[in-house]
Formats: sequence, structure tokens, C-alpha cells
Amino acid sequence: MTYSTDSWTEQMRRGGLELAILLAVAPGPRYGLEIIRHLQELTDLVVTEGTIYPILGRLARDGSLKAEWQAAAAHPRKYYRLTAPGRRRLDAMVEDWRGFAAKIDRLVQAAGQERV
Amino acid sequence: MNLSDAGEARIRGYLFMLETSLKTFLKRDVVADAVREVESHIRERVGETEPMPNERDALNRLLDALGPPHRLARAYSAEFAVDEAVSSGRFVAAARAIFALASITTEGFAVAVALLCGYLLSLGCLFVALMKPIFPHNVGVRWVNGEFRGAGWEVFLEPGTTVTHGWWLMGICAVVGSILLWITHRGARRYLRRVGERRLRRMETVPA
Repeated sequence: MTYSTDSWTEQMRRGGLELAILLAVAPGPRYGLEIIRHLQELTDLVVTEGTIYPILGRLARDGSLKAEWQAAAAHPRKYYRLTAPGRRRLDAMVEDWRGFAAKIDRLVQAAGQERV
Repeated sequence: MNLSDAGEARIRGYLFMLETSLKTFLKRDVVADAVREVESHIRERVGETEPMPNERDALNRLLDALGPPHRLARAYSAEFAVDEAVSSGRFVAAARAIFALASITTEGFAVAVALLCGYLLSLGCLFVALMKPIFPHNVGVRWVNGEFRGAGWEVFLEPGTTVTHGWWLMGICAVVGSILLWITHRGARRYLRRVGERRLRRMETVPA
């Protein structure tokens, strides 16, 4: 079997994107492009900008986010904010993420010690 | 960056392609909202882009970053159509989602054909059962001069035809049709749920 680093990285990116979006709107309402800019500033999770919108739509449909159009100076923007169920979901996801990362860290450290 | 007429036409073309693709699978209000949001994204990106000698290149870069309209539409369609079908469980929503999947994946096409056969067969059985009270002498097992000719509903019976076991056939068709319809619809929903779960994992970052 051939090992593909790209595929593995892509899988990680996919898995983390939903969490990243929820984290981006956690401090306060943001619109789509603002979320994309925020993610691009801090991460390389957004490969194709357009793919953010269907995910935002899904999160809004399942009640994790509340979407609202607001008239801006030049054109309207659709703002997303975290709902109470969305915040609970985010808390659970962050907890899962930390637990998972801690486990992998332990394995990495153990592997490093064994190698030394 | 202020757009020329050609630049405006390029954006309108992108949005038109997106809207046309989305309309095939999604409700009008969902399509309008999605297109409005993508247009807002494009307008803002255009606004923050420095004027360039080659407007076409600048626009192409901007739209490339957003992704091709058909791919964006595909991500929207599959995500929303499947979601709606799974959450509502309605036949029309399931049919729309199956159609969406059939047009983009081989697996979806194969499942759609199988489901179509299941639905047609079950509805056929139920139709035969429904016809018995309306046409009591035309539904049943048909014999002509003692020779078996078939079973079901026949509008025009040839001379010498005897129809037997009509009420039995009606009962069997009603039961078989209902069970088959239930199994097919349950299979459709289960398939859509599985696709939905898979998409949660896969559709987030589709490279352009």
C-alpha cells in the first residue's frame, strides 16, 4: 500500500474544518468572507473558498449557527452566529479534539523516547 | 477595483451557471439565498482588489479561489438535498436527493435504478389492488378456455376469459406492494443517511 502524505493531510484538514468554522464564529457573529479571511490568516484549512458556504449552510440548518442578512454599505452580508446548541456542540468538539491531540502527543513522545 | 462591462458579464455568467446548476436540485428560496451569498462574497473580493491592468486575470484568480460554479453547486446540492431528504423523510425530497446523487456518482446511479425498480414494482402492485374494487371482474388470475393467461388487471378481456382469485390477488398485491414500498423507501432513506454521514466527512474541502 502506498502512503500518501497529501491524502493524510487532506483528511486532517477536512476533519478540522467544521470545528474551525465554529471556532471562528465563537467570539461573535461573522459573515462568510470574514470567516474565510480569519481561517486563512491563522491556518491553511481553506483550500477552496466556496466550499465554506455549503458547510455554513449545513451548520445553520442543523441549528448550530443562526444566519441573518444585514445590509452593509456596499452590499448585504450574511452573518452567522453560534446558537446555544452550537456552543454546546463546539465545547464537546473542543474537548474531543484536546483529548485526541493529547493521546497522539503521548504516543509521539513515547515513540521519541523509545527511539532514543 | 471597478469592473468593466466585460468583468460584470463574467461575474453574472458565474452566478448564472451557479444558479442554473443549483435550481436542478434545490428549492428556489435556498438557491436564491446561496447565490446571493456567493455574489456578496465576489463583490466584496472585487472591492478589495487593487485595480489591475489585466482585469480578466484578476477576476479569474478571484473566481478560481472560490471554485468552479458546477463544483460549488455540486457541494451545495448534495449537502442540502440529502439533508432535506434525511430530516423530512418525504418522498419528494428523497427523490430529489437520489436524482442529485444519480447525476454525479456511479454508485448513486446504480442505487437510483434499483430504487426506481422497487418503487415502480410496489406502486404497480398497489395499483392492481386498488383496481379490484373499481373493476371487480377485470382483476385476478386470467384463464382462457382453461389455459392460464396471466394475473393482474386487464382492461379488455378477450372472449372466453375467466377471471378467478381476484380478491385473493388484491390482498396479496396490497400486502406485497405495501411491504415492497416500505422496504424501498426505507432503503432510500438509509442510503441517503449514509451518504449524508459520508459527506460530513468528505465534502468540506473539495480541491478545485
